[in-house]
Amino acid sequence: MGGACSRKRDQREGEDNVSGGVSRRYGKSGSSKWLATSFCRQSSDIQLGKGKCPSLMDLCIHKIREDIDKYNTFSMLPRDISQLIFNELVYSQCLSEVSLEAFRDCALQDLYLGEYPGVNDSWMDVVSSQGSSLLSVDLSASDVTDDGLTHLKDCINLQALNFNYCDQISDHGLECIGGLSNLTSLSFRRNSAITAQGMSAFAGLVNLVKLDLERCPEIDGGLVYLKGLTRLESLNINCCNCITDADMKPLSGLTNLKVLQISSSKVTDCGISYFKGLHNLSLLNLEGCPVTAACLDSLSALAALLYLNLRRCCLTDNGCEKFSRLGRKLKVLNLALNDITDTCLGHLKGLTSLESLNLDSCRIGDEGLVNLTDLKQLKCLELSETEVGSNGLRHLSGLINLESINLSFTVITDGGLRKLSGLTSLKSLNLDVRQISDVGLAALTTLTGLTHLDLFGAHITDSGTNYLRYFKNMRSLEICGGGLTDSGVKNIKDLSSLTLLNLSQNCNLTDRTLEMISGLTGLVSLNVSNSRITSSGIRHLRTLKSLKSLTLESSKVTANDIKNLQSNHLPNLVSFRPE
Amino acid sequence: MRKEDTVKLISAEGFEFVVHKDAAMVSQTIRNMLTSPVVGSFAETQHGEVTFPEISTTILEKICKYFYWNLQFGKETEFHIEPELTLDLLGHCPFCHWMFEDKIVA
Repeated sequence: MGGACSRKRDQREGEDNVSGGVSRRYGKSGSSKWLATSFCRQSSDIQLGKGKCPSLMDLCIHKIREDIDKYNTFSMLPRDISQLIFNELVYSQCLSEVSLEAFRDCALQDLYLGEYPGVNDSWMDVVSSQGSSLLSVDLSASDVTDDGLTHLKDCINLQALNFNYCDQISDHGLECIGGLSNLTSLSFRRNSAITAQGMSAFAGLVNLVKLDLERCPEIDGGLVYLKGLTRLESLNINCCNCITDADMKPLSGLTNLKVLQISSSKVTDCGISYFKGLHNLSLLNLEGCPVTAACLDSLSALAALLYLNLRRCCLTDNGCEKFSRLGRKLKVLNLALNDITDTCLGHLKGLTSLESLNLDSCRIGDEGLVNLTDLKQLKCLELSETEVGSNGLRHLSGLINLESINLSFTVITDGGLRKLSGLTSLKSLNLDVRQISDVGLAALTTLTGLTHLDLFGAHITDSGTNYLRYFKNMRSLEICGGGLTDSGVKNIKDLSSLTLLNLSQNCNLTDRTLEMISGLTGLVSLNVSNSRITSSGIRHLRTLKSLKSLTLESSKVTANDIKNLQSNHLPNLVSFRPE
Repeated sequence: MRKEDTVKLISAEGFEFVVHKDAAMVSQTIRNMLTSPVVGSFAETQHGEVTFPEISTTILEKICKYFYWNLQFGKETEFHIEPELTLDLLGHCPFCHWMFEDKIVA
């Protein structure tokens, strides 16, 4: 078969945020920053009438989608074609329980119905009719129950099953899949009905490579059934508060493990000691676990370790000299929200492969930063809410690979910022600090690669905005210190790459501001709360067709004004305030 | 049009469509047949003819129309497909194999 039909079976990899903390998918984030990256389901990937000439097959599939009710079956089509039709109906949300019937016995391989509206047990008969052809099924956030799972018993070639957020599945359902020994990937996130009893079915899944039980609060005692799953490479039991040291013992022999996530569990240093033999482990997430520096004894045996998350643990300076024994390969280290001081930083000196270091809310100050001077590979450094001041910044001047620094809520002042002026790789800089002013900004005009600049609480006035003109690539800008007027916005209106702009709390901004930024057509998120914006002013926003989020709280604009704007001019707007 | 600028596509029923080479070569398969350096591998194409014994006249006509629509793509016309033809076009016949490997489905 030709390239047209080659499906990317790995296309769904990478949805997991293995390097970060806990998955936020399905979560409602209060921050507007997520808008710029992910959003709701993309509609059809077959875009007719735009750009490239559609193929005859695209045209046929599009036609079928339009008249889907006229088709009784696609089973006479080659399965790759019916797979494409199926995918197109799912993407465009045109698939219903009725039209699903046309896909009975189509030998489909992938049924990605995660978050698809209306999926329940009555869909399962057609799902299972794909029989031995079926390789992967995603029914996340559906109403499928244990009864529905019984249908899958005969789909013996299944490799991947995803039942995240299916709260009607319990131990009985797991029994049904215990015989699917070809499974390599299995996911049951946020399920409170799964217990050790049901997990006994996992013992037969000898080919399992990836298991995800994040937010399953009753699974303690069940990991013992994973003992024989020697092919397991990734285990995610983040946010399973029931998990204790005893649960770690069965993992000690799973030497193929590369990714292990046990954040927010009850595992202590004693539990970590079972990991000593996991010589392939490259990512370990211990966020929020009650571990101390004593666990570093065990972790120092993990030569392959690249990512270590110790955020919100019980680390103190006591025993922190053991950090110097961590694997030399370590690239990412998160120590945020631990009670560690400059003393601890002294023991990080030798971790010269580090690319990312998070020290958010640690008790570190200027003196400690001298220990970072040899960490030349550092790209990302979080120092927010620390005692770091201007004197400490000189130790960062030589870290020329830095791309991101967070200095919010530190005690730095304008005078220190010139120490950062040579860091020309910087893309993201957070200076959400009250005592930073126009003077500090003037020292940063060499940083022409900046794409994200957060001056939320800084005291920036109209005159300071003159320096913003140097940042032509700016995509995200926040200036909310109250010192801006319309005349300062003149220097913002030409930052044509902006996708996020937050000018809230500048109570002197008027409709004139909206008029000036009406040319920033790439804007996805805009906040001009606490201003003098009026109902009449928002007409200037009609040109901002990409806008997804608009916040105009405490202005003279009403929810109805925005709703009118949304329905007549801004079809992409999904989040707005006042609402 | 000059004969050497055309190609004759023949359906299962023996119906002949004379189309511009430019149009026919929207299809990578036909392009390969017409430009194949291997002498004799597609004997019939040397006479500017390609026979498709498994493609019905109706479907071949639709495909030819698509070739011309593809050539003038960008102008504001829509390519009309009768609902009853979609499944045939998508492979309710051995022709689908040909289509899979072809640029017109890429």
